Amino acid sequence: MDISFSEQDLQFQEEIRSGLIGDDYPSHVREKQEKGTTLTKQDLIDFHKFIHRKGWMGYNWPVEYGGTGWSPVQIYLFLNELALAQCPTIIPFGLGMVGPVIYTFGNQEQKDRFLPDILEFNTWWCQGYSEPGSGSDLASLKTKAVLEGDHYIVNGSKTWTTLAHNADWIFCLVRTETTQKKQEGISFLLIDMSTPGIEVKPIITIDGAHEVNSVFFSDVKVPADQLIGEEGKGWTYAKFLLAHERFGIAGVPVVKVQIEKLKKITSNYNDSDLSKKIAELEIDIEALEFTELRTLAAIAEGGHPGAESSILKIRGTEIQQRLTELYVEAAGQYILPYEGPEGFESNRKPAGPDYASSSVAKYLNYRKTSIYGGSNEIQKNIIAKAILGV
Amino acid sequence: MNLNYSDEQNMLREQVLKFCETNYDFIDREKILLSEEGYSNDNWKQFAELGWLAVPFKEDNGGFNFGPIELTVLFEEFGKALVVEPYLSSVVMSGTILEGSNHPEKTSIIEKIISGEHQISVAYAEPNIGYNFLDCVTAVSKDGDGFSLNGSKSIVLNAGNANQFIVLATYEDAPSLAIIDADAKGLSVQSFKTLDGQTCGELTFENVSLTQKSILASGDDAETLFNKMVNISILCISAEAVGAMTASYMKTVQYTKEREQFAQPISNFQVLQHRMVDMFIETELTKSLLIKATLQLDSGDPETENTISALKVQVGKAGRLVGQHAVQLHGGMGVSNEMSIGHYLKRFTAIDSMFGNTQYHINKYKAK
Repeated sequence: MDISFSEQDLQFQEEIRSGLIGDDYPSHVREKQEKGTTLTKQDLIDFHKFIHRKGWMGYNWPVEYGGTGWSPVQIYLFLNELALAQCPTIIPFGLGMVGPVIYTFGNQEQKDRFLPDILEFNTWWCQGYSEPGSGSDLASLKTKAVLEGDHYIVNGSKTWTTLAHNADWIFCLVRTETTQKKQEGISFLLIDMSTPGIEVKPIITIDGAHEVNSVFFSDVKVPADQLIGEEGKGWTYAKFLLAHERFGIAGVPVVKVQIEKLKKITSNYNDSDLSKKIAELEIDIEALEFTELRTLAAIAEGGHPGAESSILKIRGTEIQQRLTELYVEAAGQYILPYEGPEGFESNRKPAGPDYASSSVAKYLNYRKTSIYGGSNEIQKNIIAKAILGV
Repeated sequence: MNLNYSDEQNMLREQVLKFCETNYDFIDREKILLSEEGYSNDNWKQFAELGWLAVPFKEDNGGFNFGPIELTVLFEEFGKALVVEPYLSSVVMSGTILEGSNHPEKTSIIEKIISGEHQISVAYAEPNIGYNFLDCVTAVSKDGDGFSLNGSKSIVLNAGNANQFIVLATYEDAPSLAIIDADAKGLSVQSFKTLDGQTCGELTFENVSLTQKSILASGDDAETLFNKMVNISILCISAEAVGAMTASYMKTVQYTKEREQFAQPISNFQVLQHRMVDMFIETELTKSLLIKATLQLDSGDPETENTISALKVQVGKAGRLVGQHAVQLHGGMGVSNEMSIGHYLKRFTAIDSMFGNTQYHINKYKAK
């Protein structure tokens, strides 16, 4: 065993670090990130285009599809550097989700058609999984796709669809057949969001933000060549996708940066109770970070960790949520004035610390993390079944 | 010992419950939040007609001479429906100080509070003093024959609607409480929404002139009166939290019975059952400390202040647990602003932050 990174890894880290402070980094994105202002769609596009120009966009893809072919350790270091430089999180729907499904299960024509635009961030993807009646029990989904000639006719609805209002395309799990075993009638379909019959309605979350949406499909005509792989195999692809999401799921680099910020903010508070709580959380982060490294090491050795990644999801989101609680505690009563995630205009800012408003926003917003991506209860069921065998 | 509510107290509870059922469903509440005042004037008038605004005041001042028990009954029911009308600031906080003061016109002012035509907010917090309200920078100083007030106050509940303010300020190195009109020269008010859909504001005083009459109390009297106001306010928001916890666990139980996943109601899953049991247990424990503190305050027990700190700690911890579990068990619906459940979490968060948060009261209790 050896705890240190290799010379090459460290050199790689330095390359990324210096690349992120270069002049070509979109400065308006940096300014907004430093202030904690919400980024617009265009800001996010500018950031991703920058990452693409650097040649880093396919950080988790193999070389043959235009990716970097980086090792798991390099990916880890890359994501760490992005967080340290206060970059936005790379939007996962294209790069981390549908992309790998397309290059693994799609045909050549689909690869040629979709992958370059994902890498260049010319298309914004969203994920059509959850439905009003199918959350934790995703396989019970009802959105129907019926083949008529060379088109599928899609009817139904999806919900909690993150950033669907920005999206050009949606990848959907749809029911193409009613089968005994509910998983068997599911297919994986790519749908252009501008197709007639699609309606996107915003859902406002308790922090006042518009991040998620309902997406309604009524008689949406989808060309049959936008089906990925085989009809009825969608569930297999969905599971593959979940396993692929493993990278960065714990959100360790971001919480490390955020907790350092909190320490700095509270350093003159003379509040030993709060410092103790922060230290406890730092210890949790250390344990999780090294757990993630162990997972990465196993992948680098060619292993396929499965249910262990549920640890990363569970503890990662618990830590993220705990950190938002500590920010709220630090701000005390000054959290009360709050008018939404955008904060206040500079000419009417309430008294109290600058971070008070964003602390409330994050505290409320991050309640979602233990619910989304397979609720933490479902993750525990996975561990119980797959690892403990009970 | 008798831990039963009286018939009169039960009737009051019944009346508030009915009012909220008729006038305060989630959609009514949403409309109120969007209004400019941030509360419903119609509701406020009805509160006056029903006599609720008279609850804590002495008979001499036109009140019902009720005590803290009746207030907690009222607030528990308010908490269930997440009532946003400014009862805490206008009746409890300012009423307690006014009634305990020697202000020559206090009876006529209280009458106007009771009739619903007059609102007063207490300005106690400041930008840089955290929860040590008595260490305030805002100061009264001698100015010719009278006095003048300078400084600023933050997080003043319902500031935008108040006709008058009672301001905690320093005078000759001791605390004092002064009353000023909202349109006083030299006073400026800026209003904000709060995280739980209520309103608050910031006051800035630039040589606001005061007369002897406008000093409601000073020195030890002011400190005693201020602490009394804080204690009764903590009691009220704790009762509100108990109501909100009760509603949260009951709504969650209902939801999990209706929500089906894996071809069965999710209430069948033991892990969720245990979470809901935890929510119930925390609610009951909070209720116990609430009743204990209420009865101690009512009887003037010297232990009251400690029990109030214990209560505030329990409210903070239980509110967080109940609020977070309720959201989690509602899944995506829990984080949707269109459902009431997330609004309870917001109220718990706001309540914890007021009059000293959980950690502040742990330390206060420890130092007893």
